[in-house]
Amino acid sequence: MDKLIDDELLVAQFQAGRQNAFDELMKRYKSKIFSYLLRSVRNYEDAEDITIEVFFKAYRALEGWQPKAKFSTWLYKIASNLAIDYHRAKARNPVYALEDTEIPEAHLVATDLYSDPEKQLEEKERGIMIREAVDQLSPKQKAVFMLSRYEGLQLKEVAETLDMAEGTVKIHLHRAVKRLQTLLRPLWENNEI
Amino acid sequence: MPKCKKSEGQAIDYAAKLLPPAEEDPFEQHLKHCQDCTEAVEAYRAVLELTDEAQEELVLPELALQNIEMNVYKRLAATQQEQTLLTRIRAYFANLGSPFGWYKTAAVSSMAIALIIAAVFVGKPFQPQQTLQLTEAQSADARIEQYRQQGIQRNLEEALITQHLRNDAWETESQFYRMKEQAQGTNWTKVADKHLQNLQSGNPTLQ
Repeated sequence: MDKLIDDELLVAQFQAGRQNAFDELMKRYKSKIFSYLLRSVRNYEDAEDITIEVFFKAYRALEGWQPKAKFSTWLYKIASNLAIDYHRAKARNPVYALEDTEIPEAHLVATDLYSDPEKQLEEKERGIMIREAVDQLSPKQKAVFMLSRYEGLQLKEVAETLDMAEGTVKIHLHRAVKRLQTLLRPLWENNEI
Repeated sequence: MPKCKKSEGQAIDYAAKLLPPAEEDPFEQHLKHCQDCTEAVEAYRAVLELTDEAQEELVLPELALQNIEMNVYKRLAATQQEQTLLTRIRAYFANLGSPFGWYKTAAVSSMAIALIIAAVFVGKPFQPQQTLQLTEAQSADARIEQYRQQGIQRNLEEALITQHLRNDAWETESQFYRMKEQAQGTNWTKVADKHLQNLQSGNPTLQ
């Protein structure tokens, strides 16, 4: 770490009344939390709202926070719980689900104007298929897979974030990878990779 | 899918680089003799590379990210003000005095009705006191203003960069309008107006 003051030290500074410490924490984690939520809820506006809610909740709870786990793990835990609430609310309200606007592909796929358009289209379709496969995982498998693969959390941290035993995390991860292998089999069969 | 079931979990862990160091060497030895597991590791590794690549391309909306801090403080300020009001109402009723059954209930009910009427006809009956929570709210307000000022200046810089480096008049104008909207109630609106006037009159000489 740099340069940088430890997250936990910043928390201690915040608890001692230094407001800027919380700003620094937000600056450090807003992109990570936003991208994690965007992958989970797949809607820009909702991901933004939930990100704000994560930091709002963190601010209010930080006063009594004890460093039993890493600050980042705690933040992901708040985000993960809010994402679960979001998916539950969405499942309960099918009208809401119909109105949901997905992330435009242009935002997901880096566009290279000079590349072959046909190839670009193929890449785009492949990207959609892969992301849809990840979306088809069970909520727990998806949460474990995302935290472990995309957020770079250690299995122990994933376990703390999701309130699971480390062994359970591994089982979910194994199932997720096996399921993805099945779902993405057409890519192999069509020699697309 | 490996036929060698015993090592299936290990194959995934190995592909995902999650195998504990103590198990790594024995598993690599196993791979030398087990075609099923070797193929499985390759397949799992390919799946993980695919999914990693697909997600790496995710682009975050810059504007939304820039406003996260300000929106968090706005949310905090709004809640703290609500809480101050609620705290005062609760404190008022808690101090009503009489510990006896229906006298207290009647008094509370009457007061609640009176307060609602007062709120409707007189306006805001509860002016927040100078409490700790209010101080926090003021702090949140100060931060909102601070982030707003930063946002205005950032928009101004971006508009100038767009105009002078990218020479994109339409985008420049949009950015100045965005800046003006964000700067409502401050002197920055005059700055935005001046730039917009110059832009619309085709005068490239800007301050």
